[in-house]
Amino acid sequence: MSKEMKFLVVDDYSTMRRIVKNLLHDLGYAQVQEADDGNTALPMLKTGGFDFLITDWNMPGMPGLDLLKAVRSDDKLAKLPVLMLTAEAKREQIVEAAQAGVNGYVIKPFTAATLKEKIDKILESRASG
Amino acid sequence: MSDPLPREDAPRIPELMEELHDLTCNLRSALERFRFDARLNDLAEKEMPDARQRLSHVLKLTDEAAHRTLDLVEQSCPPAERTAREAAELAESWTRFRARNISVEEFRALLTRMDSFLACARTDSDTVRANLAQVLLAQGYQDLTGQIIRGVMTLVSEVETTLAELTRLARGEPATDASLAPAGEGRRDVGPVVPGVNPQVAVVSDQQGVDDLLSDLGM
Repeated sequence: MSKEMKFLVVDDYSTMRRIVKNLLHDLGYAQVQEADDGNTALPMLKTGGFDFLITDWNMPGMPGLDLLKAVRSDDKLAKLPVLMLTAEAKREQIVEAAQAGVNGYVIKPFTAATLKEKIDKILESRASG
Repeated sequence: MSDPLPREDAPRIPELMEELHDLTCNLRSALERFRFDARLNDLAEKEMPDARQRLSHVLKLTDEAAHRTLDLVEQSCPPAERTAREAAELAESWTRFRARNISVEEFRALLTRMDSFLACARTDSDTVRANLAQVLLAQGYQDLTGQIIRGVMTLVSEVETTLAELTRLARGEPATDASLAPAGEGRRDVGPVVPGVNPQVAVVSDQQGVDDLLSDLGM
């Protein structure tokens, strides 16, 4: 995957969306769009040609886990890389996200280095897989 | 089959029915009051202290984020000022060079200073840029504190409903259809882990904990 890849950042807090968008720009990813919950994100994903999804968990409307499950059950989106970026730190939730097919899990507060490391790891495993 | 009421008691039947109705109402009211009393007790003993702890954590997070931001701004000012000052000094010599009004010695000194300035400006810009990235990340406190405050707002709303219902029952009015969330439900059990507020389930303490858990799961 190149730096031309298209990201969708889903979080109900606009501040967090701006933070992630800026960090992605710093990493060289210029194509970043935003959505404030799963209900807004899903139609965008179905038509937007996105290459990578970064989503929060706890959002009003459709939470991130439901969005992840919807993505994995959609034939066209099933293989989309999904990184969960959330404050949810319960073991059972992390296990649930893993079982639902998440590719990476970062807990807030996070560092720019962690975000980069997880994105790179997901992309590397995609490239080799 | 029970014995019918003696004929002489027949005129008392409406009175007895009224008493029975009152008893039923009182019983229902007592049950409703017990339901709200029990919930209020739970709110007062467990959830209000938790809410205080949560708000205290919000204060801590906002304080830390503000100081972190101010520290980074203070650290960024000297390199930014140094670059601006050096550039202004070089511009003066550069203008004279462009006007062919500069000696050979001064031109040589200008080249040396220019080399030094370019290296320094690059380092200083990197420092400022790195600090700005940290300022950006520090704003993440708004998401975390916002989630905690939302949970406390849910609790306040529930306390308000419970007190209103108890007041209504105390006045002898029937309870409304106000629903009571069982302890720990609603949005208070989601969101960031708050030190001092015991989560009901196991949590990981940091990113390393997440990575270890996912590694155990084969990821």
